Amino acid sequence: MTFAMNTGAARTKIDWARSLFGANFLLLVIIFLWWAVSTAGWVSRVFLPSPQATWASLVEGVTDGDLLAFTWATVSRMLLGWALASLLGVALGAVIGLSSTARAYMQPTLEFIRPLPASALLPLAISIFGLSPAMVLSVVAFGAMWPVLLATVHGFASVPAQLQEVARCLQLSRMAYAFKIGLPNAMPDIFAGMRLSLTVSLIVSVVGEMIASQPGLGQAILLAARSFRASELFAGIVLLGLIGFASSALLAVFEKRLLKWQKS
Amino acid sequence: MAHNTVLNINQVAINLGGREVLSPTSFDVARGEFVCIVGPSGCGKTTLLRAASGLLAPASGQVLRNGLRVTEPSREVAFVFQDYGRALLPWRTVGGNIALALEAANVPEQERGGRIADVLKKVGLTQHAHKFPAQLSGGMQQRVQIARCLAQQPQVLMMDEPFGALDAMTRQSLQDELARLVLNDGLTVLFVTHDLEEAIYLGDRVVALQSNPGPGRPSLARMLDVNIPRPRTQLATKEHPEFLRLRRELFAFIEQSHD
Amino acid sequence: MIDRLLIKLRPWWFPVIALALFEAYARTVGKSSDAIAPPSAALRGFASALSDGSLLSATAFTLGSAALGLLLAAALGIAAGMALGLSPRAARLSFLSIEVFRPIPSVALIPLAMLVFGFGLRMEFSIVAFACFWPMLLLSQAAVQQVEPRLLEVSRVLGLSPLQRANKIILPAIIPRLFVALRLGVAVALVVAVTVEIAANPHGMGYAMMIAQQSLNPGLMLAWLMWISVVGFVINYGALRLERAVAKAMGQAG
Repeated sequence: MTFAMNTGAARTKIDWARSLFGANFLLLVIIFLWWAVSTAGWVSRVFLPSPQATWASLVEGVTDGDLLAFTWATVSRMLLGWALASLLGVALGAVIGLSSTARAYMQPTLEFIRPLPASALLPLAISIFGLSPAMVLSVVAFGAMWPVLLATVHGFASVPAQLQEVARCLQLSRMAYAFKIGLPNAMPDIFAGMRLSLTVSLIVSVVGEMIASQPGLGQAILLAARSFRASELFAGIVLLGLIGFASSALLAVFEKRLLKWQKS
Repeated sequence: MAHNTVLNINQVAINLGGREVLSPTSFDVARGEFVCIVGPSGCGKTTLLRAASGLLAPASGQVLRNGLRVTEPSREVAFVFQDYGRALLPWRTVGGNIALALEAANVPEQERGGRIADVLKKVGLTQHAHKFPAQLSGGMQQRVQIARCLAQQPQVLMMDEPFGALDAMTRQSLQDELARLVLNDGLTVLFVTHDLEEAIYLGDRVVALQSNPGPGRPSLARMLDVNIPRPRTQLATKEHPEFLRLRRELFAFIEQSHD
Repeated sequence: MIDRLLIKLRPWWFPVIALALFEAYARTVGKSSDAIAPPSAALRGFASALSDGSLLSATAFTLGSAALGLLLAAALGIAAGMALGLSPRAARLSFLSIEVFRPIPSVALIPLAMLVFGFGLRMEFSIVAFACFWPMLLLSQAAVQQVEPRLLEVSRVLGLSPLQRANKIILPAIIPRLFVALRLGVAVALVVAVTVEIAANPHGMGYAMMIAQQSLNPGLMLAWLMWISVVGFVINYGALRLERAVAKAMGQAG
C-alpha cells in the first residue's frame, strides 16, 4: 500500500527545506574545514587565522578599536560616491540618450572609456587634488558614473519604435517623453548599471584608502597585513564581504519593488 | 471639397527605399465614414495610413484634414498599431496607459478619473483597470490601446491591421465591439487590413490597392461602396447577398492583381 | 559620397576637439602645473617609454598576469559551473556558499595575497583568478541550465549515453555562451590586474603610471593612462570579435 502523502505541494516544501538545510550544511562544512586546517597548522596561522581568532578580532575591533569607525568611513564614502555617480550618470545619460545625433557623436568615445579601470584615475587625481578624502570621493564618483551613464544611454536608445510613434501621435513634449517614456523604459538598464556602480564604488573606495592613506577598511587591512596581524586582516575581509553582500541585496530589494511590472 | 469631408487624400505618392510603393492616389473620407483599405502585402496600405496620420511625409501630393495640410501627427488623429505589445507602456497599469493620452492633452487632473472610467466602460475593461499589460491577453491589450485612442476624443481613428495578431474568435468579437463604438460615437475611421471579409464586414467603403504600381497600373485599383445595412452581425451579414457579391468581386480582383 | 565620409568622421570630432582644448589649456593656464601635461608631452613620454623598453615589459607583465589569472579561473569556473548546471541538487547545496564568498571584493584580498606571496606575478594573478572565477562559474552554470530542453528530450529519445549527450549536445550548445563569459572575464581580468598594480604590486602598467605620477612626470603618467585605455579597448574589442565569430561558426543568428 503506497502512502499517497507526497502530493505536489507537500513534496516541494520538503525539497525546499531539505535544500536549505543542505546548503547551510555545506557552508558549515567549509567553516569546519577552515577551523581544522588552521588549528592543525596545515596552513601557517600567519596566513590563515582560525575562525575563532577572526571572530575575536572582529569583536575586539568593534568594541575596543576603531573598526566600526573604519567601516563607516568606507561605507559612507562608497554610498556617497555611488549616489552622486548615479544622479550624474542618469542625468548625463538621459541627455545623450535622448538625441540620436548626440549618441552618434558620443557613443564611440564612451565605448572607449568603458574598459578603463576606475582606479587608474587615482594617480591623476592625486596629482591634482593631493591626498585627501575629497580626492578619493571624486574618483569613486567619477568611476562609478560610467556604468550608470552607459546603461542610461542604452535604456533611452532602446525605446521600441512603436512607443516612439505613440509619443509622436500624442504630441508629447520632449520633457514629457523623457520622463514618461524614456526614463521608465530605461529603468531596468539603469538598475543594472547601478548594481555595477556599487561594486565599482566599493573597489575604488578601498583602493583609494590603501594608496592615499585615508582611514577606512582598506587602509586597516593593509596595515594589518604589513604587521602580520592575520586575524585582523581576515576580520576586515569579512566586513568588506558583508558590505558587498548587504549593499547589493538592499539594491535588489529596491529594484524588485520598482520593477514589479516586469513579467520575465 | 464637400462640406462634411474630413480627410482629403490628394494625389499622394510614397517612395520607400528609392522605390515607388504607392502611385499618386486620391480619395476623400466623409465625417462618420468607415473606410477600409485592403490589398496584398507591399501594396502600400500601411504607408498610406501613416501618411494620412502625419507619421510619414508623402513623396508628392498632400493630405488635407478639415482643409488644412497634414505635415505631422496630431492628437485629433488617433493611431492604433498592430503590435499592441509594443504600443503600450509596460510599466503602467491599464488605467495609467489611458491616462497618458489625457496627460499629453493637458486634461485637468480632476477630469481624468472620469474620462478614464468612461472609456474603460466602452471597451469593457472596467474590472482590469489596475492590471499591467503583461497580465492581459492579446485581445484585451488591443482593447486598452483602442481605449487610449478613444480617450483622445479624436476626430479620426487610424487603425493599422489592429486585429491581425489575434485569434479568429477574439478578432470577431473585437470587430463587433469596434463597429458598435464607432456607431455610438460617430467616429471617422480609416482601417487597414489584409482580410477581405473583415473589410467588407466593417466598412462603408472598401479601397483596394494593388502592389507594384507602374504606368497603366495605379495603386488604387478599386473603390467599392458597401451598401449593407447596420447594425451588422457575424452570421447574418456574411450570408447577405450584397456581402457575397462584394466578396466575389474583391476576390476576383485580388486574383487578377497577382498575375 | 561626402556624406558618407562625414558620417564616418563623426566619432572623432568629440575626442579630437577635447584633446585640442586640453592641449591649449595645458600649454597656457596649466603651464606650471606638476599635475597635468599637454597631450603632446604625453606623446613624448610614450615615445620614451617605448624606446627604453619599459612599455613593452610593463604591458607584458600586466597582460601575462591577467591571462594566467583568467585561465585558472576559467578552467576551475567552467568545470564547476558545468557540474552545478548538470546537477540541480549540487546547485541547490552550493548556492549559499557561493553567495557568501562571491561578494568579497577582490581588492580586499590584496593584503592577504601580499602576505602569502609577497609581491610579483603570483600575488597578482591569484587575485585576478579570484575575481574572474565567480562570473565564469555562474555563467557556465547558466549556460548549461539554458540548454534547450527540447534538445535534451531529443537525446533521450535517441538513446544517447551520458558521454554522447555531453559531447554532442551539451558542449556544442554552451560554447557560444562560454565565449560570452570569456569576453566578460577578459574585461574583469584586465581591470583587476591594473587595479592590483595601482594599489600594491610594483610591476606592470598600473605601477608604471603610479611611478610616473610620483616622480612628477605628468606627461609620462598621462601616456600610461592613455596606453592602458588603448590596450583595454583593443583587447575587449578582440574578445568581442572572437565571441561573435564563434557564435556565427556555431550557427547562431546575428
